[in-house]
Amino acid sequence: MEALLTVETSDYSQGMVSTENQATTDEAGLIERAKRSDSKAFEALYRMHIGQVYGLCLRMTGNVSEAEDCAQDAFIQAWNKLDRFRGDSAFSTWLHRIAVNAVLGRMRKSKREHDRIQVAAAESTAPASIGDSGNLRDLSDAVDKLPEGARHVFVLYAVYGYSHKEAGKMLDIAVGTSKAQLHRARRLLVQQLEKEGFEA
Amino acid sequence: MNDEREDRLVAAAGKLAKSIEPERDLWPGIAEAIEAPKRRNWTPMFAQAAAVVLLVATSSAVTWYAVKDDTVVAPEYSAELIFEQASFGSVYTLGPGFQEARGMLMADLNAGLEQLSPEQRADIENSLAVVQNVIGQINAELENDPENVYLQELLLRTYRDELALMRRVGGLTKNVMLRNDI
Repeated sequence: MEALLTVETSDYSQGMVSTENQATTDEAGLIERAKRSDSKAFEALYRMHIGQVYGLCLRMTGNVSEAEDCAQDAFIQAWNKLDRFRGDSAFSTWLHRIAVNAVLGRMRKSKREHDRIQVAAAESTAPASIGDSGNLRDLSDAVDKLPEGARHVFVLYAVYGYSHKEAGKMLDIAVGTSKAQLHRARRLLVQQLEKEGFEA
Repeated sequence: MNDEREDRLVAAAGKLAKSIEPERDLWPGIAEAIEAPKRRNWTPMFAQAAAVVLLVATSSAVTWYAVKDDTVVAPEYSAELIFEQASFGSVYTLGPGFQEARGMLMADLNAGLEQLSPEQRADIENSLAVVQNVIGQINAELENDPENVYLQELLLRTYRDELALMRRVGGLTKNVMLRNDI
Protein backbone atom coordinates (compact mmCIF):
# COMPACT_ATOMS: atom_id res chain seq x y z
CA MET A 1 0.00 0.00 0.00
CA GLU A 2 2.89 2.28 0.77
CA ALA A 3 4.25 1.85 -2.70
CA LEU A 4 0.80 2.31 -4.06
CA LEU A 5 0.29 5.57 -2.26
CA THR A 6 3.67 7.04 -3.08
CA VAL A 7 3.03 6.92 -6.79
CA GLU A 8 3.10 10.42 -8.19
CA THR A 9 -0.13 11.94 -9.30
CA SER A 10 -0.63 11.43 -12.96
CA ASP A 11 -1.62 14.32 -15.13
CA TYR A 12 -4.00 12.65 -17.48
CA SER A 13 -4.88 15.80 -19.33
CA GLN A 14 -1.22 16.48 -20.11
CA GLY A 15 -0.81 12.97 -21.40
CA MET A 16 -3.80 13.41 -23.62
CA VAL A 17 -2.53 16.69 -24.99
CA SER A 18 0.84 15.16 -25.74
CA THR A 19 -0.70 12.27 -27.58
CA GLU A 20 -3.03 14.52 -29.45
CA ASN A 21 -0.24 16.87 -30.48
CA GLN A 22 1.50 14.03 -32.24
CA ALA A 23 -1.58 12.92 -34.03
CA THR A 24 -3.65 16.07 -34.41
CA THR A 25 -3.00 16.58 -38.08
CA ASP A 26 -3.54 12.97 -38.95
CA GLU A 27 -6.56 12.74 -36.72
CA ALA A 28 -8.23 15.84 -38.13
CA GLY A 29 -7.77 14.50 -41.64
CA LEU A 30 -9.11 11.12 -40.67
CA ILE A 31 -12.15 12.69 -39.04
CA GLU A 32 -12.92 14.69 -42.16
CA ARG A 33 -12.58 11.60 -44.32
CA ALA A 34 -14.69 9.56 -41.94
CA LYS A 35 -17.37 12.24 -42.06
CA ARG A 36 -17.50 11.56 -45.78
CA SER A 37 -18.29 7.90 -44.98
CA ASP A 38 -14.72 6.70 -45.46
CA SER A 39 -14.78 3.58 -43.29
CA LYS A 40 -11.02 3.07 -43.72
CA ALA A 41 -10.40 6.43 -42.12
CA PHE A 42 -12.80 5.56 -39.36
CA GLU A 43 -10.98 2.28 -38.81
CA ALA A 44 -7.77 4.27 -38.37
CA LEU A 45 -9.54 6.43 -35.77
CA TYR A 46 -10.72 3.26 -34.09
CA ARG A 47 -7.14 1.94 -33.96
CA MET A 48 -5.99 5.22 -32.42
CA HIS A 49 -8.65 5.36 -29.70
CA ILE A 50 -9.83 1.84 -28.97
CA GLY A 51 -7.50 1.47 -26.01
CA GLN A 52 -8.86 4.56 -24.29
CA VAL A 53 -12.48 3.75 -25.07
CA TYR A 54 -12.20 0.10 -24.11
CA GLY A 55 -10.29 0.99 -20.96
CA LEU A 56 -13.02 3.37 -19.88
CA CYS A 57 -15.74 0.83 -20.65
CA LEU A 58 -13.83 -1.89 -18.80
CA ARG A 59 -13.33 0.21 -15.71
CA MET A 60 -16.95 1.32 -15.70
CA THR A 61 -18.49 -2.11 -16.24
CA GLY A 62 -15.83 -4.25 -14.57
CA ASN A 63 -16.53 -6.97 -17.10
CA VAL A 64 -14.63 -7.89 -20.25
CA SER A 65 -17.50 -8.96 -22.48
CA GLU A 66 -19.68 -6.03 -21.44
CA ALA A 67 -16.79 -3.68 -22.02
CA GLU A 68 -16.29 -5.12 -25.50
CA ASP A 69 -19.96 -4.64 -26.32
CA CYS A 70 -19.95 -1.10 -24.93
CA ALA A 71 -16.82 -0.18 -26.86
CA GLN A 72 -18.33 -1.51 -30.05
CA ASP A 73 -21.56 0.37 -29.37
CA ALA A 74 -19.59 3.52 -28.72
CA PHE A 75 -17.76 3.40 -32.03
CA ILE A 76 -20.93 2.53 -33.93
CA GLN A 77 -22.66 5.51 -32.34
CA ALA A 78 -19.64 7.68 -33.04
CA TRP A 79 -19.83 6.73 -36.72
CA ASN A 80 -23.52 7.58 -36.84
CA LYS A 81 -23.02 10.91 -35.04
CA LEU A 82 -19.76 11.90 -36.63
CA ASP A 83 -21.26 14.78 -38.59
CA ARG A 84 -22.19 16.36 -35.25
CA PHE A 85 -18.59 16.47 -34.08
CA ARG A 86 -17.54 20.10 -34.45
CA GLY A 87 -14.17 19.93 -32.77
CA ASP A 88 -15.29 21.94 -29.74
CA SER A 89 -13.61 19.32 -27.59
CA ALA A 90 -10.90 16.79 -28.29
CA PHE A 91 -12.05 13.85 -30.34
CA SER A 92 -11.01 11.54 -27.51
CA THR A 93 -13.21 13.46 -25.06
CA TRP A 94 -16.10 13.28 -27.47
CA LEU A 95 -15.57 9.54 -27.77
CA HIS A 96 -15.42 9.20 -24.00
CA ARG A 97 -18.80 10.88 -23.64
CA ILE A 98 -20.27 8.48 -26.16
CA ALA A 99 -18.64 5.53 -24.40
CA VAL A 100 -20.08 6.60 -21.04
CA ASN A 101 -23.50 6.91 -22.64
CA ALA A 102 -23.08 3.47 -24.15
CA VAL A 103 -22.29 1.99 -20.75
CA LEU A 104 -25.17 3.79 -19.04
CA GLY A 105 -27.53 2.97 -21.89
CA ARG A 106 -26.81 -0.71 -21.66
CA MET A 107 -27.29 -0.68 -17.92
CA ARG A 108 -30.57 1.19 -18.17
CA LYS A 109 -31.81 -1.02 -20.96
CA SER A 110 -32.19 -4.06 -18.83
CA LYS A 111 -32.13 -4.33 -15.08
CA ARG A 112 -31.68 -8.06 -15.46
CA GLU A 113 -28.67 -7.52 -17.66
CA HIS A 114 -27.35 -5.02 -15.15
CA ASP A 115 -27.63 -7.60 -12.38
CA ARG A 116 -25.82 -10.07 -14.56
CA ILE A 117 -23.04 -7.57 -15.08
CA GLN A 118 -22.71 -7.08 -11.36
CA VAL A 119 -22.59 -10.81 -10.68
CA ALA A 120 -20.11 -11.35 -13.47
CA ALA A 121 -17.99 -8.51 -12.18
CA ALA A 122 -18.05 -9.94 -8.68
CA GLU A 123 -16.99 -13.33 -10.00
CA SER A 124 -14.45 -12.05 -12.46
CA THR A 125 -10.76 -12.12 -11.82
CA ALA A 126 -10.19 -8.40 -11.81
CA PRO A 127 -10.27 -7.87 -15.57
CA ALA A 128 -9.78 -4.12 -15.28
CA SER A 129 -6.40 -4.66 -13.68
CA ILE A 130 -5.08 -6.19 -16.90
CA GLY A 131 -3.29 -3.00 -17.81
CA ASP A 132 -1.95 -2.25 -14.34
CA SER A 133 1.19 -3.38 -12.61
CA GLY A 134 2.32 -3.99 -9.05
CA ASN A 135 0.24 -2.53 -6.26
CA LEU A 136 -1.92 -0.68 -8.74
CA ARG A 137 -3.59 -4.00 -9.43
CA ASP A 138 -4.85 -4.01 -5.87
CA LEU A 139 -6.30 -0.57 -6.28
CA SER A 140 -7.81 -1.55 -9.61
CA ASP A 141 -9.43 -4.60 -8.04
CA ALA A 142 -10.81 -2.46 -5.24
CA VAL A 143 -12.24 0.02 -7.73
CA ASP A 144 -13.98 -2.86 -9.50
CA LYS A 145 -15.73 -3.76 -6.27
CA LEU A 146 -17.17 -0.31 -5.71
CA PRO A 147 -20.93 0.15 -6.05
CA GLU A 148 -21.91 1.26 -9.53
CA GLY A 149 -22.56 4.94 -8.90
CA ALA A 150 -19.45 5.43 -6.83
CA ARG A 151 -17.35 3.48 -9.30
CA HIS A 152 -18.50 5.53 -12.29
CA VAL A 153 -17.67 8.82 -10.62
CA PHE A 154 -14.36 7.55 -9.27
CA VAL A 155 -13.29 6.23 -12.67
CA LEU A 156 -14.13 9.46 -14.47
CA TYR A 157 -12.78 11.79 -11.79
CA ALA A 158 -9.81 9.99 -10.31
CA VAL A 159 -8.67 7.73 -13.13
CA TYR A 160 -9.52 9.79 -16.21
CA GLY A 161 -9.14 13.22 -14.68
CA TYR A 162 -12.51 14.73 -15.47
CA SER A 163 -13.89 17.46 -13.24
CA HIS A 164 -17.05 16.94 -11.21
CA LYS A 165 -18.85 19.18 -13.65
CA GLU A 166 -17.71 17.09 -16.61
CA ALA A 167 -18.34 13.79 -14.85
CA GLY A 168 -21.76 14.97 -13.74
CA LYS A 169 -22.64 15.97 -17.27
CA MET A 170 -21.51 12.63 -18.66
CA LEU A 171 -23.38 10.66 -16.03
CA ASP A 172 -26.39 12.97 -16.04
CA ILE A 173 -26.09 13.68 -12.34
CA ALA A 174 -25.68 16.89 -10.37
CA VAL A 175 -22.23 18.11 -9.38
CA GLY A 176 -23.19 17.62 -5.74
CA THR A 177 -24.13 14.02 -6.42
CA SER A 178 -20.83 13.47 -8.18
CA LYS A 179 -18.96 14.83 -5.20
CA ALA A 180 -20.98 12.69 -2.82
CA GLN A 181 -20.30 9.58 -4.86
CA LEU A 182 -16.58 10.36 -4.94
CA HIS A 183 -16.57 10.81 -1.19
CA ARG A 184 -18.31 7.46 -0.82
CA ALA A 185 -15.88 5.81 -3.22
CA ARG A 186 -12.82 7.16 -1.38
CA ARG A 187 -14.15 5.96 1.95
CA LEU A 188 -15.05 2.51 0.63
CA LEU A 189 -11.69 2.14 -1.11
CA VAL A 190 -9.75 2.88 2.05
CA GLN A 191 -11.91 0.42 3.99
CA GLN A 192 -11.52 -2.21 1.29
CA LEU A 193 -7.76 -1.87 1.04
CA GLU A 194 -7.28 -1.84 4.80
CA LYS A 195 -9.45 -4.94 5.12
CA GLU A 196 -7.14 -6.70 2.73
CA GLY A 197 -4.18 -5.95 4.92
CA PHE A 198 -2.76 -2.81 3.44
CA GLU A 199 -1.40 -0.07 5.64
CA ALA A 200 -2.01 3.38 4.36
CA MET B 1 -5.71 10.97 8.73
CA ASN B 2 -8.34 9.23 6.64
CA ASP B 3 -8.66 12.27 4.42
CA GLU B 4 -4.96 12.12 3.72
CA ARG B 5 -5.17 8.44 2.87
CA GLU B 6 -8.10 9.06 0.60
CA ASP B 7 -6.31 11.90 -1.15
CA ARG B 8 -3.34 9.67 -1.79
CA LEU B 9 -5.63 6.95 -3.10
CA VAL B 10 -7.17 9.35 -5.57
CA ALA B 11 -3.71 10.43 -6.61
CA ALA B 12 -2.67 6.82 -7.07
CA ALA B 13 -5.79 6.14 -9.12
CA GLY B 14 -4.49 8.63 -11.64
CA LYS B 15 -1.71 6.18 -12.36
CA LEU B 16 -4.06 3.37 -13.29
CA ALA B 17 -3.90 2.45 -16.95
CA LYS B 18 -6.27 4.55 -19.04
CA SER B 19 -5.63 2.72 -22.22
CA ILE B 20 -6.29 -1.00 -22.23
CA GLU B 21 -6.28 -2.99 -25.43
CA PRO B 22 -9.16 -5.45 -25.78
CA GLU B 23 -8.26 -9.11 -25.92
CA ARG B 24 -9.78 -9.42 -29.37
CA ASP B 25 -10.12 -7.10 -32.34
CA LEU B 26 -13.49 -5.39 -32.10
CA TRP B 27 -13.29 -3.75 -35.50
CA PRO B 28 -14.91 -6.54 -37.59
CA GLY B 29 -18.12 -6.24 -35.58
CA ILE B 30 -18.06 -2.48 -35.85
CA ALA B 31 -17.36 -2.60 -39.59
CA GLU B 32 -20.30 -4.91 -40.10
CA ALA B 33 -22.60 -2.73 -38.02
CA ILE B 34 -21.70 0.60 -39.60
CA GLU B 35 -22.56 -0.79 -43.00
CA ALA B 36 -25.72 -2.58 -41.89
CA PRO B 37 -27.54 0.39 -40.32
CA LYS B 38 -27.35 2.27 -43.59
CA ARG B 39 -29.27 -0.49 -45.26
CA ARG B 40 -31.62 -0.89 -42.33
CA ASN B 41 -32.32 2.80 -42.02
CA TRP B 42 -32.51 3.74 -45.60
CA THR B 43 -34.27 0.80 -47.18
CA PRO B 44 -37.56 1.45 -45.39
CA MET B 45 -37.25 5.16 -46.07
CA PHE B 46 -36.68 4.68 -49.79
CA ALA B 47 -39.36 2.03 -49.92
CA GLN B 48 -41.73 4.34 -48.11
CA ALA B 49 -40.98 7.14 -50.52
CA ALA B 50 -41.52 4.81 -53.47
CA ALA B 51 -44.77 3.57 -51.96
CA VAL B 52 -46.05 7.07 -51.41
CA VAL B 53 -45.21 8.07 -54.96
CA LEU B 54 -46.92 4.99 -56.31
CA LEU B 55 -49.94 5.56 -54.14
CA VAL B 56 -50.23 9.17 -55.18
CA ALA B 57 -50.09 8.14 -58.81
CA THR B 58 -52.51 5.28 -58.46
CA SER B 59 -54.93 7.15 -56.25
CA SER B 60 -55.01 9.93 -58.80
CA ALA B 61 -55.73 7.32 -61.44
CA VAL B 62 -58.51 5.89 -59.28
CA THR B 63 -60.13 9.27 -58.96
CA TRP B 64 -59.78 9.99 -62.64
CA TYR B 65 -61.22 6.64 -63.70
CA ALA B 66 -64.02 6.89 -61.21
CA VAL B 67 -65.08 10.18 -62.72
CA LYS B 68 -64.49 9.21 -66.32
CA ASP B 69 -66.09 5.79 -66.51
CA ASP B 70 -68.58 4.36 -64.07
CA THR B 71 -69.58 1.33 -66.12
CA VAL B 72 -66.59 -0.88 -65.24
CA VAL B 73 -67.26 -3.34 -62.43
CA ALA B 74 -64.46 -5.08 -60.58
CA PRO B 75 -64.54 -7.66 -57.81
CA GLU B 76 -64.22 -6.35 -54.26
CA TYR B 77 -60.72 -5.63 -53.06
CA SER B 78 -59.54 -7.12 -49.77
CA ALA B 79 -59.45 -4.47 -47.05
CA GLU B 80 -56.94 -6.47 -45.07
CA LEU B 81 -54.26 -6.41 -47.73
CA ILE B 82 -52.61 -3.17 -46.73
CA PHE B 83 -52.68 -3.32 -42.98
CA GLU B 84 -52.31 -6.98 -42.35
CA GLN B 85 -49.52 -6.19 -39.92
CA ALA B 86 -51.23 -3.57 -37.85
CA SER B 87 -48.73 -3.60 -35.07
CA PHE B 88 -45.54 -1.92 -33.97
CA GLY B 89 -43.17 -4.82 -33.68
CA SER B 90 -44.18 -7.01 -30.79
CA VAL B 91 -44.66 -4.15 -28.38
CA TYR B 92 -47.27 -1.77 -29.70
CA THR B 93 -50.62 -2.48 -31.27
CA LEU B 94 -52.85 -0.09 -33.14
CA GLY B 95 -55.90 1.03 -31.26
CA PRO B 96 -59.57 0.58 -32.18
CA GLY B 97 -59.85 4.17 -33.41
CA PHE B 98 -57.25 3.49 -36.02
CA GLN B 99 -58.84 0.19 -37.04
CA GLU B 100 -62.24 1.83 -37.46
CA ALA B 101 -60.89 4.70 -39.54
CA ARG B 102 -58.91 2.28 -41.68
CA GLY B 103 -61.98 0.11 -42.30
CA MET B 104 -64.08 3.09 -43.37
CA LEU B 105 -61.39 4.46 -45.64
CA MET B 106 -60.78 1.07 -47.17
CA ALA B 107 -64.50 0.71 -47.92
CA ASP B 108 -64.39 3.98 -49.83
CA LEU B 109 -61.26 2.87 -51.62
CA ASN B 110 -63.04 -0.32 -52.61
CA ALA B 111 -65.84 1.73 -54.11
CA GLY B 112 -63.29 3.55 -56.22
CA LEU B 113 -61.52 0.37 -57.20
CA GLU B 114 -64.76 -1.10 -58.51
CA GLN B 115 -64.73 1.52 -61.21
CA LEU B 116 -61.40 0.33 -62.58
CA SER B 117 -60.44 -2.10 -65.27
CA PRO B 118 -58.67 -5.29 -64.21
CA GLU B 119 -55.38 -3.84 -65.45
CA GLN B 120 -55.74 -0.67 -63.43
CA ARG B 121 -56.80 -2.59 -60.38
CA ALA B 122 -53.77 -4.85 -60.77
CA ASP B 123 -51.57 -1.77 -60.82
CA ILE B 124 -53.07 -0.57 -57.59
CA GLU B 125 -52.73 -3.98 -56.00
CA ASN B 126 -49.06 -3.92 -56.87
CA SER B 127 -48.70 -0.51 -55.30
CA LEU B 128 -50.47 -1.67 -52.18
CA ALA B 129 -48.22 -4.69 -52.06
CA VAL B 130 -45.26 -2.32 -51.99
CA VAL B 131 -46.83 -0.48 -49.07
CA GLN B 132 -47.47 -3.74 -47.28
CA ASN B 133 -43.84 -4.65 -47.83
CA VAL B 134 -42.72 -1.33 -46.35
CA ILE B 135 -44.88 -1.84 -43.29
CA GLY B 136 -43.55 -5.35 -42.96
CA GLN B 137 -39.96 -4.14 -43.19
CA ILE B 138 -40.44 -1.48 -40.56
CA ASN B 139 -42.21 -3.93 -38.28
CA ALA B 140 -39.38 -6.41 -38.73
CA GLU B 141 -36.88 -3.71 -37.78
CA LEU B 142 -38.99 -2.87 -34.76
CA GLU B 143 -38.95 -6.49 -33.70
CA ASN B 144 -35.18 -6.19 -33.44
CA ASP B 145 -35.16 -2.69 -32.05
CA PRO B 146 -38.55 -1.98 -30.43
CA GLU B 147 -37.31 1.14 -28.65
CA ASN B 148 -36.18 2.82 -31.84
CA VAL B 149 -38.19 6.03 -31.83
CA TYR B 150 -37.17 6.80 -35.40
CA LEU B 151 -38.67 3.55 -36.67
CA GLN B 152 -41.83 4.09 -34.63
CA GLU B 153 -42.26 7.54 -36.13
CA LEU B 154 -41.53 6.19 -39.59
CA LEU B 155 -44.19 3.55 -39.24
CA LEU B 156 -46.67 6.08 -37.92
CA ARG B 157 -45.96 8.38 -40.84
CA THR B 158 -46.40 5.52 -43.27
CA TYR B 159 -49.75 4.59 -41.82
CA ARG B 160 -50.81 8.23 -41.70
CA ASP B 161 -49.78 8.87 -45.30
CA GLU B 162 -51.67 5.87 -46.50
CA LEU B 163 -54.78 6.79 -44.60
CA ALA B 164 -54.59 10.30 -46.01
CA LEU B 165 -54.28 8.93 -49.51
CA MET B 166 -57.19 6.58 -49.04
CA ARG B 167 -59.23 9.44 -47.68
CA ARG B 168 -58.47 11.40 -50.81
CA VAL B 169 -59.61 8.53 -53.01
CA GLY B 170 -62.75 7.85 -51.06
CA GLY B 171 -63.60 11.45 -50.38
CA LEU B 172 -64.02 10.62 -46.73
CA THR B 173 -63.97 13.59 -44.41
CA LYS B 174 -63.20 11.67 -41.28
CA ASN B 175 -60.00 12.63 -39.52
CA VAL B 176 -57.05 10.40 -40.18
CA MET B 177 -55.20 8.64 -37.43
CA LEU B 178 -53.44 10.67 -34.81
CA ARG B 179 -50.73 9.50 -32.46
CA ASN B 180 -53.34 9.38 -29.68
CA ASP B 181 -55.23 6.68 -31.53
CA ILE B 182 -52.43 4.23 -30.89
